[in-house]
Amino acid sequence: MAEQPTLVTITVDGKPAQVPAGTLLIEAVKAAGVHIPHFCYHPRMKPVGMCRMCLIEVEGPRGMLLTTSCTTPVADGMAVHTESDTVKKAQEGVLEFLLLNHPLDCPVCDRGGECPLQDQTMACGPGESRMVEEKRHYPKPIPISDLVLLDRERCILCARCTRFSDEISGDPLIEFKGRGNAVEVNTFPDEPFASYFSGNTVQICPVGALTATPYRFRARPWDLEAVESTCPHCSVGCRISVQSSRNQVLRFMGVDNGPTNQGWLCDKGRFGFEYLGSPQRLAAPLIRNADGVLQEAAWSDALDLVAERLGALAAGGPDVVAGLGGARGTNEEAFAFGKFLRETLGTNNLDAQLGDGLDARLLAGITARGTIDDLERARTVLVWAPDLKEELPVLYLRVRRAATELGARLIVVHPRETGLDPVAAHTIRYRPGAGTELLRRLADGSGDLAEARRALGEGPVVAIVGRPGAGDDPRLAEAVLAFAAGLPGATLLPVTRRSNVYGAADMGLDPGLLPGRVAAPAGTGGRDAAGIIEGLIAGEVAGLVLLGADPVADYLEPARAAAALEAASFTVAIGLFLDESAAMADVVLPALGFAEVEGTVTNLEGRVQKVNRLLPGPAGARPTHEILEDIARRMGGSIGAASAEALAAEMAATAPAYAGITWEALSWGEGRRGIVAPGPAGSQPLVHAPEDHAPPPVGRNLVLHLARVLYDQGTLTQAGPSLAKLARPAAAHVHPEDATRFGIPAGATVRVTGSGGSVELPTVFDPSLVAGTVYLPLHCGASIGAGLEITMEAVS
Amino acid sequence: MTWDRRTEDRAAAIVGRYPEKRSAVMPLLYLAMAEDGYLSEDGMRRVAQLTGLSNAQVQGVASFYTMYKRDGVGEYLVSVCTSISCMLLGGDDVLDAVAAETGVADGETGEDGLFSVEHGECIGACGGAPALQVNYELIEGVTPDHGRALCRWLAENRPAVVRGDDLQERFGGRRSFDWGPVEAGGATGAVPAFGPLGTAGEGS
Repeated sequence: MAEQPTLVTITVDGKPAQVPAGTLLIEAVKAAGVHIPHFCYHPRMKPVGMCRMCLIEVEGPRGMLLTTSCTTPVADGMAVHTESDTVKKAQEGVLEFLLLNHPLDCPVCDRGGECPLQDQTMACGPGESRMVEEKRHYPKPIPISDLVLLDRERCILCARCTRFSDEISGDPLIEFKGRGNAVEVNTFPDEPFASYFSGNTVQICPVGALTATPYRFRARPWDLEAVESTCPHCSVGCRISVQSSRNQVLRFMGVDNGPTNQGWLCDKGRFGFEYLGSPQRLAAPLIRNADGVLQEAAWSDALDLVAERLGALAAGGPDVVAGLGGARGTNEEAFAFGKFLRETLGTNNLDAQLGDGLDARLLAGITARGTIDDLERARTVLVWAPDLKEELPVLYLRVRRAATELGARLIVVHPRETGLDPVAAHTIRYRPGAGTELLRRLADGSGDLAEARRALGEGPVVAIVGRPGAGDDPRLAEAVLAFAAGLPGATLLPVTRRSNVYGAADMGLDPGLLPGRVAAPAGTGGRDAAGIIEGLIAGEVAGLVLLGADPVADYLEPARAAAALEAASFTVAIGLFLDESAAMADVVLPALGFAEVEGTVTNLEGRVQKVNRLLPGPAGARPTHEILEDIARRMGGSIGAASAEALAAEMAATAPAYAGITWEALSWGEGRRGIVAPGPAGSQPLVHAPEDHAPPPVGRNLVLHLARVLYDQGTLTQAGPSLAKLARPAAAHVHPEDATRFGIPAGATVRVTGSGGSVELPTVFDPSLVAGTVYLPLHCGASIGAGLEITMEAVS
Repeated sequence: MTWDRRTEDRAAAIVGRYPEKRSAVMPLLYLAMAEDGYLSEDGMRRVAQLTGLSNAQVQGVASFYTMYKRDGVGEYLVSVCTSISCMLLGGDDVLDAVAAETGVADGETGEDGLFSVEHGECIGACGGAPALQVNYELIEGVTPDHGRALCRWLAENRPAVVRGDDLQERFGGRRSFDWGPVEAGGATGAVPAFGPLGTAGEGS
């Protein structure tokens, strides 16, 4: 995949070595097999040469020169010495200086046992210090955010954290203060380190100066069990190390194997594991009793009941039952769910999404699909998608890197300001509903869009396209993708958020798809999510199977979903929590979740990656495929799910795009980086030609921009104490002109009424909107539906 | 906190002089300091907005330089040099004398807000050591007695503008060299290094 680098010859400690040209000495010497101790250097950030630990000797015309290997580029013929007496003395001296003020509180420090300073002092340091003076003292850790604590005594001033927040995440809320004798890392007074990426600074801190509240004092590193896996929170699919002690997940650490996250994680991913150990987790099946109350029951009774009721309903015809969900688990679970619905129940009413994403045929079948790594080579990047910082934060980091470090020209199209705007060359705003018109003008390069259109003519172009808000028609994204596909060297990344929605589409959890990116035969009917919900209300669908889906909370018209579940004659919910939908079900079956089952997931690139098992999970919960198999057997069938691995083998053997992608292949060597499943079977794209979709003009009426924020009222966020408190109270964002038009004073409360109800919220003036638009965060309180047109009035 | 239009115009002019907005951070900090009498948090916030830096980064710059005062100072800031030449010629005695006369310890500000006293690093007047500054106006060849007299004089006369040449004549001793013609301006005049940029106190 990667091009072969040019090699130069250097001499390391007297031995010749071939190393890649253009690298820094510290990397070149590492390629030659010699590790240089260091603190401030980090391979994903620019070198600064601050800690002086990486000093080595380089032979030069004037003799040996001690130099920092992290700031010196390698040159052909260089001779370096890494173990000479001078180098040893320099290392001892540096460590003695670093330890002048570093407390020896290793036994109570979270870093103790995995601390670069501790390790390198043992390996390279002087046996004892000559210093008898008192060390620096600061109040022991001060919170610099809700998640991160700072112990200034331990800080060795390597600037990894400040450089990360400046270079990588772009929110430099921490910086050196009082440079000189009183230097320390700190925030501005009353402005906490509230970054979405703050946890990365804890991971890269080479001492215990930065610690995270969820992990603090919970374990010693040598007691942890760890397994490599894939983050379950969004569709970027970051590689992580899941670490547990005594069957409790205690932390996630980013793993840098390159193609997805480059080692970074967002805080929602990093600290979003707490729900797994939540006391709210379902631990026994529940059956609604004669009084209408959900009551704990034995597995056999619950499964008997489900089989009996679903069997009776399914006998009434294929349209009478339906399944929703499967986008949050593994591919194996999605595959089992599809087989259960199609083969056992005989229905084609199935949808992994809840009408809030993109067409599944688009997700599975897009041609010219790109990878995240294409951003490393892109000249121009078009983002016409949700605010990546809020929905797919690590993809935001990758786009930001392309636009800053790599010099790509970034064009961001969104109804309001996004996290990427500060690094974008062009920001284009529009009112939801007016996207089609905007696309036409952008394609023509008319007026003020000429400059952006010209940039799009310079390839390679990477287009990241999704549905910016719930009010945007998914067909708009298809039209944007069709436009982008014609740009020079274009690769396309259709983005939607739910973690394994791509895997679910690939496993055929859509009426129009079969497993392995194959179109369902023409004439195969079947309802999608909206069809299922309306069908339930109309009485045409009677039975519903929910797999990790909560339409009552997540469907864009929650009132319709609640009415649908009310109308259903039988609903079974398989999941981790008694969420709003499960609370309305007739039978609730507790399933095992992330880190409790083994399998594969597929990210937004179509990259299949392994998730691994580390914990047993709650005693009463069972793997989804086993639950489905047991129901199928009671109905006289089988989905062949003897084990998840058997399902994986069946997928690899029968689903065309997944041919050969076995657990074995994903577990070792290059396979750990994931395998990008090839495009749709056959050369025909699955996507229909984009319809010419022209929404009715809304004139001077207000339109709604409804979009997600990272920390919302979602079940998995709220089930963990660390993230739950980060959710901010919702506010209606109103353009100042509209505030004047509707007579709304600053800070006033407004009542916003939409297609599905009304809500009263405080207002925030937001001049980044196009006038005539009101922005509400999704899942942050009462829903008003997703209809475009809304009304707003001031409440006294 | 908002700056008045005149200050904002001056800030915009400063920013306009640099190809990169962030380069204006130091002169803008002088402006913010002139506005509030010291560098307030609000002042640093405004500088951050104007330069596109984060508040923490502006604080990082402001906290490096001791001449950016991040707490309020008295009407007269007396900085006594205690670097090597001045120290060898009795700078510490001058500092003690000033502190005793004003009743304000090194690094502090009197309760009446009249004096702040601090020891300073080299102020480039080694030839006229020991030297001190009042509101950054230089006086050389200061003995402890001269220091006391200076403070008494300031307290009695409360000059609105402190002028180095004036004080040198009254309380100074041997000068390092002839500093040339007397310039108007004094303590509220332009900070020399940033004079061409129009910063603190210009035109007031």
